[in-house]
Amino acid sequence: MTVSEASVLTPRRSPLAQSSLAQTWAMSKRSVLALWRQPSLVVPSLIFPLFFAALGTSSFSRATSLPGFPEVDSYLDFALAGAVAQGVLFGSTVGATALATDIENGFFDRLLSSPSTRSGIIVGRMAGGMVFGGAQTLFFILVLLPFGLSIKGGAVGVLAMAVGGTILALAVGALMAAMAIKTGSSEAVQGAFPLLFIGLFFSSAFFPRETMSGIYGSLADINPISHLVEGFRDLTIEGLSASAVIRAILIPAGLSVLTVALALRTLRSRLGAR
Amino acid sequence: MSTANLPIVAEGLQRYVGSGDDQVKAVDGVDLRIEQGEVFGFLGPNGAGKSTTVRMLTTLLRPTGGSARVAGFDVVDEANEVRRNIGVALQDAAIDPLMTGAELLKLQAVLYGLPKAQHSTKAGELLERVGLTAAGDRRVGTYSGGMRRRLDLALSLIHEPSVLFLDEPTTGLDPMSRISLWEEIRRLNNDGTTVLLTTQYLEEADQLAERIAIIDNGVIVRKGRPAELKAEVGSPTLFVSVDASVTDGAKVLLEGFGDLRPSAEGTLGVGLDDGPAAVSNVVRTLDEAGIAVKNLELREPSLDDVFAEATGYRLEGADT
Repeated sequence: MTVSEASVLTPRRSPLAQSSLAQTWAMSKRSVLALWRQPSLVVPSLIFPLFFAALGTSSFSRATSLPGFPEVDSYLDFALAGAVAQGVLFGSTVGATALATDIENGFFDRLLSSPSTRSGIIVGRMAGGMVFGGAQTLFFILVLLPFGLSIKGGAVGVLAMAVGGTILALAVGALMAAMAIKTGSSEAVQGAFPLLFIGLFFSSAFFPRETMSGIYGSLADINPISHLVEGFRDLTIEGLSASAVIRAILIPAGLSVLTVALALRTLRSRLGAR
Repeated sequence: MSTANLPIVAEGLQRYVGSGDDQVKAVDGVDLRIEQGEVFGFLGPNGAGKSTTVRMLTTLLRPTGGSARVAGFDVVDEANEVRRNIGVALQDAAIDPLMTGAELLKLQAVLYGLPKAQHSTKAGELLERVGLTAAGDRRVGTYSGGMRRRLDLALSLIHEPSVLFLDEPTTGLDPMSRISLWEEIRRLNNDGTTVLLTTQYLEEADQLAERIAIIDNGVIVRKGRPAELKAEVGSPTLFVSVDASVTDGAKVLLEGFGDLRPSAEGTLGVGLDDGPAAVSNVVRTLDEAGIAVKNLELREPSLDDVFAEATGYRLEGADT
């Protein structure tokens, strides 16, 4: 077509109505599909927490009689909350690594050049990790039940933990996503993974805070993972209570607000926005 | 014509990276006026500022200075409207290898707000258009480079954009795939789509673009219709290969026939003021001076010459 043949452009608002919800849902399905198609990425975060729980139960069963240790039927009941937190922390980095890969291969730019909301792009990419976080929680409970695990909080307690696990996956995934957006490197995201474990070890994931002392105890006191894990733990060993449900769900929800905001801020900075 | 009616307008567009002594002017005051229904070629070597300009025009990068309107909307203040009206195929075929071609097209249909009932139909039409119907249900990770490029183009067309940005669409493709993509770009343009195409291939710009801009070090150094730009170069270029030991002497002699022009290493280039008729005189003069000519090639003005004259060097691997 030559220029003279062309009609003059009239700026027009697109008649197509983008739904943020539909966009986020479509991108969420994509991230879940990606996990489904890469089982090698998800299997380790299902196996290792169970391995640690089994190891702890066989090695530390006498620790339950230490002063400060809560009253439990078995160490396994105590260990479940730590296993869930560990598994979700491990698994939620998968989504951020996938986001970094999107940046590396340019697919992220394709999404950004479409009329999608920025939060939808981030949350959609994290959705696979969220679904996986909830599924991990249920998986650990189902696998450990035949080995003597008992959940005093019942079905509602299990549901609360699954919701907490799902939201925790978003919180951690978005934190790692901020790193992915900042560096654009999947290696950098994977390299930051040990930092999550430092956060986990300086918490009450594996031992109660009452048995800790010094800097270790002080750090565990201020570590939000401690309070989250204790919410899970109370649902397991004490039963259903508003306090436990709030800690299990509201703490990861609060963290999510902060980390998603951080990821969006990092994205705006990457795009050179004001 | 008012610039408000043009599909792509840039005025003094700048993108600076870093600060102080380390500041790099990736794009330094680019002006563009691309008309409706035009294929515009943006030509330059790697790092010249082509992709940075495209990223600013497609709202992926905020300009440091200047302004730009695409499809009638400001790229900063009305970025979402710009995104709704443009199709973008960036370098390296940005595609998720874990998804199938059909899945990616349907995802793209959701992102652009197409009614759900149209998703499968539209995906099928576009797969057929780019010759990927048989591969539509295969994961993209199994596609060849040419197939990925064609799918990338199809993805950018899902919402029938009025303006299409193609950033080096054929880089790394074999000749057959390149020609096939050229044909598709021509078809799109015949349907009325305005295309901004960046390329480092002179032949591609010559084949497809009605007008071109040559960018070097972030600055547009030439702009116009290829035929007019070639005519501005004027005289044909004679490339002469001589032994390295006599290069300086040959240069002095060749300057008597016209201006020396940039050429590949080991070769001297001279624009013949008297046209092709001067070739025999050049050979005789060099022969009389005892300079043996190893090779001789006369070329009519090409975009390669336009580029060389504008920048002072030739594009590596220039094929025209």
